[in-house]
Amino acid sequence: MKKIKYIVVVLLGIFAINSCNDSDLELTNPNQLSPETYFKNEVQVQSAVNAAYANLQTRGLYARHIFFALDNMSQENKGNPQLEGNKVPFLNFSFDASSDIIQFYWETCYLGIAKANFVLDNEDKINALSNSVLSQERKNKFLAEAHFLRAYYYFLLVPRFGNLPIYTSSTTVVGAARSPKEDVYKLIEADFDFASKNLLSKSTEQKGRATKEAAYAYLGKALLYQKKYDEALAAFKNVTGFTLESNFYNNFMDETEHGPESIFEIEYDENLGVADKWGSDTAGDGVAESTLRGQEYGNLGWYNVYPSDDILDEYEPGDKRFGDTFYVPGSKYNNGANTMTAANFSSSAGLRRAGWKKYQNYYKRVDENLDSSINFKVMRYSDVLLMMAECESMRAGGVQATAIGYINQVRGRANVPLLATTLTKEQVFTALVHERKVELAGEQVRFDDIIRWGIASTELAGTGFTAGKSELWPIPNRETSSNPNIKPSDNNPGY
Amino acid sequence: MMLKLKFAIIALLMISYQNVMAQSKTIQGVVVDPSGVPLPGASINVEGSKNSASTDFDGKYILRDVNSNDRITFSFVGLVTKTITVGTSTTINVTLAESTQTLQEVVVAYGTQKRTKVTGAISTVTSKEITAVPITNAESALQGRAAGVTVVNGSPGSNPTVNIRGLGTMNNTNPLYVVDGVLVGNLSGLNPSDIESMSVLKDASTTALYGSRAFNGVIMVTTKKGKKGPGQLNFSTYAGFQTVTKRFDVMNTQQYLNYAKDLGSDLTARAAEFGNINTDWQDQVFQDGLMQDYNLSFSNGTENSSSRYSAGYLKQEGALIGTGFERYSFRANNSQNIGKLTIGSNIGVSFSTTNPERASGGRALLEHAIKMAPYLPIYNSANNGGYQGPTSALDGQDAENPVRIANLGYQEVKGLSIIGNIYGELEIYKGLKFRSQVSLDYYTTEDHTFIPSYADGGAHQQAYASIAETNTQGQSIVFDNSLSYKTTFAEKHNLEVLGVITKIENKFQNIVAGSRNNITDEIDQLSNNLSNLSSTSAETNNLGYIARINYDYDDKYIFAISGRRDGGSRFGSNFRYGNFYSIALGWNIAKESFMTDSVFSTLKLRGSIGTTGNDALDNYQYSPTLSSNYIYPIDGEPEIGVTPGGAANPNLRWESKKDRNIGLDFGLFDEAFTGSVEYFNNISSDILFRVPLPASVGVPGGTQFQNVADMKTHGFEVSLGYNDRKGDFTWSATAALGTSKNEVTGLAPGVTSVVSGPSGRSGIENFSRLEVGQPVFYFWGYETNGIYQNQAEVDAALAPGQSTFQPGDIRFVDRNGDKVINSDDKTNIGNPYPDFTYGLNLTAAYKKFDFSAFITGVSGNEIFNANKFDLEAMPRLFNASTDVLDRSIVVNGVVTNPSATLPRAQGASQNYANASQRYIEDGSFTRLKNVTIGYTFSDDSFAKYFQRLRFYVSGQNLITITDYSGLDPEIARVDTTLGSAGIDVGRYPQPKSVIFGLEVTF
Repeated sequence: MKKIKYIVVVLLGIFAINSCNDSDLELTNPNQLSPETYFKNEVQVQSAVNAAYANLQTRGLYARHIFFALDNMSQENKGNPQLEGNKVPFLNFSFDASSDIIQFYWETCYLGIAKANFVLDNEDKINALSNSVLSQERKNKFLAEAHFLRAYYYFLLVPRFGNLPIYTSSTTVVGAARSPKEDVYKLIEADFDFASKNLLSKSTEQKGRATKEAAYAYLGKALLYQKKYDEALAAFKNVTGFTLESNFYNNFMDETEHGPESIFEIEYDENLGVADKWGSDTAGDGVAESTLRGQEYGNLGWYNVYPSDDILDEYEPGDKRFGDTFYVPGSKYNNGANTMTAANFSSSAGLRRAGWKKYQNYYKRVDENLDSSINFKVMRYSDVLLMMAECESMRAGGVQATAIGYINQVRGRANVPLLATTLTKEQVFTALVHERKVELAGEQVRFDDIIRWGIASTELAGTGFTAGKSELWPIPNRETSSNPNIKPSDNNPGY
Repeated sequence: MMLKLKFAIIALLMISYQNVMAQSKTIQGVVVDPSGVPLPGASINVEGSKNSASTDFDGKYILRDVNSNDRITFSFVGLVTKTITVGTSTTINVTLAESTQTLQEVVVAYGTQKRTKVTGAISTVTSKEITAVPITNAESALQGRAAGVTVVNGSPGSNPTVNIRGLGTMNNTNPLYVVDGVLVGNLSGLNPSDIESMSVLKDASTTALYGSRAFNGVIMVTTKKGKKGPGQLNFSTYAGFQTVTKRFDVMNTQQYLNYAKDLGSDLTARAAEFGNINTDWQDQVFQDGLMQDYNLSFSNGTENSSSRYSAGYLKQEGALIGTGFERYSFRANNSQNIGKLTIGSNIGVSFSTTNPERASGGRALLEHAIKMAPYLPIYNSANNGGYQGPTSALDGQDAENPVRIANLGYQEVKGLSIIGNIYGELEIYKGLKFRSQVSLDYYTTEDHTFIPSYADGGAHQQAYASIAETNTQGQSIVFDNSLSYKTTFAEKHNLEVLGVITKIENKFQNIVAGSRNNITDEIDQLSNNLSNLSSTSAETNNLGYIARINYDYDDKYIFAISGRRDGGSRFGSNFRYGNFYSIALGWNIAKESFMTDSVFSTLKLRGSIGTTGNDALDNYQYSPTLSSNYIYPIDGEPEIGVTPGGAANPNLRWESKKDRNIGLDFGLFDEAFTGSVEYFNNISSDILFRVPLPASVGVPGGTQFQNVADMKTHGFEVSLGYNDRKGDFTWSATAALGTSKNEVTGLAPGVTSVVSGPSGRSGIENFSRLEVGQPVFYFWGYETNGIYQNQAEVDAALAPGQSTFQPGDIRFVDRNGDKVINSDDKTNIGNPYPDFTYGLNLTAAYKKFDFSAFITGVSGNEIFNANKFDLEAMPRLFNASTDVLDRSIVVNGVVTNPSATLPRAQGASQNYANASQRYIEDGSFTRLKNVTIGYTFSDDSFAKYFQRLRFYVSGQNLITITDYSGLDPEIARVDTTLGSAGIDVGRYPQPKSVIFGLEVTF
């Protein structure tokens, strides 16, 4: 009996000594990779670049809010009573710094910028990889994709907010002060410039990635927004190898993506999964490969918004684009098997004249659901042609006939009379205002156009638009409450 | 027979008051419990002498060499110690009374302590109270009984939310549970009828020994052990129904059709298609649930060993269709003495199956039931799956068929829990003991969901069967080694010293899998079709070095000091260790000579100060990681994206809390009246807070954990107890009341407020707010002041540009008077946490009848009634409260019914999208939680069959007094975040139930 006790005591003593060991407190996370050891091969470099694309798909941008926010402000949309409360303020310019939509837009763009910066922060590591692991051309191409995306996000931000905090590295957690928008444009130009020189051409790149031509088109657009017409025109002239789709509606269907007119698209494909779509306001994480555009705009879906009289009445008689842009009673759908009736355009506030057809799935289906796979063609060749026309017309020494030639390429497809080549600069401008409005209706360009042209006050009279305030969105509260270098008092005028 | 004994005792007591000549003699007798059952192992001591004895298996004792003026104390664990002067008698039979609220021995961290020597704040609940109410989880026994403890229950099988002394942090507020020395996360695997006692440790002087895990208090659970005596077989059962009787008053078909017509949708023909039926969807989702519970236990004990074995079965159908809980539990507790070595084990195993409340589209079942159009039928055999739902938006928006959600397919969570320990204790030298204990907490859960394909007729469909499974496994192994020494020197100096080294290893892993089946609905198992699969694992380790010294002088002056040095792997190497301590003082005033003749049998003043910590943050927060959870389609393939997962912080350390507690315990008239009063004042600092980073720095999640926030909590607790006996009638009353008030004293530098709220609910997402100088997560919204009656009122109140406001809209109060309604006008419109909680427990017994009633309540909290948001806001067309029939009607810009309290329908978005005072209600309630009447057979005529048999009938939640208009003010939190507290989004109401029970001791 005594022996047992001694054995027990000795054993327990041994356990007691063994039980305390500081090294037990050093544990590593078995679930996740460490940034220090990343960028070892092409797959890793590519994956870091891929992450920066994902923010384009978020609800803050093309999955849900951007098309509402911009189409509402431009009054291309009017709202049905069921339009959700957070989207109504964009119809009447009553949004303030607490708007979730503005917050999501701001956040997702900056999250995308940080992801691009994460790649660029590791430029040395990428360049240090042996060329047998990754050729210099591919290294440059990946870095160029990161530059392109960083510039893309800044270019989404700067027309909305003006002066912006600039980050060219992802390592800080301290907020920066706002820099003049001229400095932001400088960064955008430099990034698109690097991208245009190092990206692959559309003919050789995978579908969905940024290309050399997209970089030139956006470089041109960024220059045009600063009224640098000559430089912009030079950039646009490098956008080569594109033609207009013979069928305008090919630009807005799922099956005809990446066609001859398409320069850059935001990718969606519901077959790749939609499980996380409701969680993806800003981060872009998870599987959320569809957009709500079809359901939100569709007159057989939620029909939250409908095309305004202003946009419907802009079309000339016989403009083929009208029937490709809008559904009206009598329109065929579901591969021509069904016909819309007046009742298909009803809301609790009465019958509407039309519903949106661009980016709807009705061309092949009887209804919309929460998922649409149709990519947004955010840069089309017809847009480039019209921007070239604008540059040519506006630049010192511009030849109006040349500008009109670009416009007429676009009008020719629409089956509307070509413009006379004798129009004056002012007449060309008026023609451009009309042509961009009808060609790009519902594509989130008109609000930027009327702001940069300085005609917003007249175009948006009576809507709640306040000159000197409504041109810009407020910096969201979320930013001013956590960034020591941007206080609420630093916000845009009027907010 | 029993009665005679009692009279004999009383007579003896009276005799004993007479002065009798001192004379050495032998006395004998029997010690029994209040129900007359002999008590084996009771201690009999002669005061001021070492002369003592203990009772045998039949409760009999013999004590020699006593004088007639000696005072003899009779004591037994759990019963009130009785002191009797010997006098002339030689036979002294004693009945020991149940204590009203206090055990004489209290379970504390790493041991037990005499109640008289306790210097900290401890509430105890005994097995009698635990099994007095038919509860399915052990935590519920604390509700209203332990002062300062709040318990909120959810649906069957879910873990209740327990807070001790309010909130000390805005992070994890769950207390630590310790079952027979095993640290566990919750008590779900424990059968309440296996519990002997629960001690709630509330201040640092009692909790500091658990260091970094004691921040939110500790609940010590002791399971029943075998008692000395012949083997005893117990069987108990109950069965009954539970039901929810309250309903929201929603529109019927005719009312709904009229309402829809007013809003521009003529649904007459639509309703006629279905035969103009009227479906009461609420009646369809509530059911009368059967609950039944069976327990069998066998207890046995000899001089050197004790054992208890038990088995239990519980089955509970929920009050909502599709919900339910079933649990099999088994427990074996053993201990053996081999000379000076004691070896034992306590092991409990349980298997459970939970059918949780199912939801769809981010909406609770109840919300669907409210919003479903009443003209739609439940079933339609023409539809795949057999249910009818809205065919288009015309049939009402938001809602899906709730019966389909609940009944099509199933969700089943199967759990296995093993909680156990094995220990050895050796008395090395008199008073010096070494103890070693290995504890295990192991659990697995298999959460399996199967939904076959269905099409409700248009708006809601799934073209494939979906199968999802999440398997989780966790284990915690604790290895404790302790050395303790207990001695008395110079007669009056009592000293206890304890040292412990403890090591905790936690492991966790889960596998999440899902797939679809397009071919058949017959198979509910996973396949490779559109499948997804992922797993995670985590490990945390802790090391603790513990010391405690308790000293008292003659039981009068008590001094206790304890400390723990804790190391934890959750933190970076910069701050891996933390030190926690406590100091406590106590003064037993009643033992002073000047108190000898006072009515106070107990009067003790005590105070403590100390620190505890909280390590409940996510794992591995200190090291930077990459996340590969980004997907973008390239060439039609889902390309993986990888980027940093968040902003790590290598400087993370514990949250720490400084507790200060002062208490006064009293007992009058020989403990007939007992009570205690406490005041606590706690200061929490270095609270881990997800500091919002500027969105522009682009950190995923937008936050970084930092030890920056501070808050303070203070409050009072009062416990009172009284018991009395008049002949065959005995009664007792106990009351407990606790208050707590908290205030955020600091967030991050430069951060004055943060908003939170239930996710996915537009309008209330940012409704809860943290702000310096305010209580934690108060409700932040607009005050309201009626409804704009005409345009002139709008124009007078608001500046031009606020064009969204029209006659018939809610008039939000423009607090800053700038004629613009924006977030600057929001203010504190409610606090989800009560000012105080209380409970009142009455018991009475007359002859063989027993009666008990238990009342509990909370006061001073507000509830955000999000159901009202669904019932009255009228943003879109769906079924709603009949109150909407009296909404504001606007004709030509003027409200035609000024008495209406609801705004216009489908009005400007701000009417419903902005959380306002309109949805805030007083959440106070007083509830008759339980009332029970029982009858006990213990006649000798039954003795050959059983010792004791009791029948009872019991009712739960029968009466509730509240102004709250929702189904139940006793609501659970929406999800795990504190920011959702007090927001009722269609939560599972606590049902009423009536049960019949039977207890037999063989």
